[in-house]
Amino acid sequence: MTQELEKKFASELEKNQGIIHKVCRSYTNNETAHKDLFQEITIQLWKAYPKFRGDSKFSTWMYRVAFNTAISLYRKSKRSIETTQIFDNLKELEFQDYDDTKDQQLKLLYNAIYSLNDIEKALALLYLEDKSYKEISNTLGISEVNARVKMNRTKTKLKSILNP
Amino acid sequence: MDQLERLKGVWKNQSESTIKFTESDIYNMIHKRSSSIVKWILIISILEFILPNLFVFFSDFESTNKVYENYDLNNIMLIYTIIHIVIILIFIYLFYKNYKNINADSSVKGLLHDILKTRKTVKYYVYYNLTMAAIIGIHVFYIVFNSEQFVEKLPENTSIIIVWLIAIGIFTFVLFLFWCFYRIVYGFFLRKLKNNYVELQKSE
Repeated sequence: MTQELEKKFASELEKNQGIIHKVCRSYTNNETAHKDLFQEITIQLWKAYPKFRGDSKFSTWMYRVAFNTAISLYRKSKRSIETTQIFDNLKELEFQDYDDTKDQQLKLLYNAIYSLNDIEKALALLYLEDKSYKEISNTLGISEVNARVKMNRTKTKLKSILNP
Repeated sequence: MDQLERLKGVWKNQSESTIKFTESDIYNMIHKRSSSIVKWILIISILEFILPNLFVFFSDFESTNKVYENYDLNNIMLIYTIIHIVIILIFIYLFYKNYKNINADSSVKGLLHDILKTRKTVKYYVYYNLTMAAIIGIHVFYIVFNSEQFVEKLPENTSIIIVWLIAIGIFTFVLFLFWCFYRIVYGFFLRKLKNNYVELQKSE
């Protein structure tokens, strides 16, 4: 029975893993940390899976657990890698061809999101995913008014990072 | 069109992540052990519940008993021990109850609140231990320093006030070291959680 459930979970997660990768890429800036966070999110999702009753969409539920793991549960290691990795990314951008504008814009966007604080990162992701204020307030556990205030601040901050 | 709205389009059309896991990778992952902050808090908390009480086993029973008998402390220490055990059991129950409430499925603020609440139980437990140590310490000092046996052993012309000051000084210093150690350990674990909780509470 457990094995069946494990297989079902793995299959569902495999199809929806894009969501977790977006969260991992926003909260980490190197491959090792990305994989490490992905694993922790997967473990937390699996632990919470028996309680998932389908009241919300699987993707909404995944976002919630993924944010919780990235913001509260995940313990970062290898802090020294962080700064060097950011510089590597920037250098890479300078020397890239301009053919791939979309990819480059996406990289800049991820770099900008990475420089936000943990809560702002979540807000930025929820904004980019076009989530309603009701869903944002439910996910973060704050009032809708506060979600709007915080979202406006995050958007302004994000813009100022993108246009220094 | 707003720059962020334009980027939203880029975001939505982003290609799949370069890092990708297969179904069997994910299957293997769920069998790995979590290394979450909550797990570390649980391990440290269990150590905190156990360690202060382990001192009893490392102390020299016979000589401790002799001291108790000499100064007639047996009954008082028995009462303190019973109170201590009851209070420990209450703390363990509260800790377990709060720990069970922690759920990765909660809202972000709810989860942060539950983790910090669980931690608070252990924080009060540590405060309780330090306070209890101070109360028992002062009580025992009082009985010992006022006993004839102790006064007889003191060199002539020694002021009992100085004896009290030295005893309290050493005692306070030891308690202070414990407190510092505690602040450092938890400062390291909880700084991120506290900052995020404060950030979410702003404007509420």
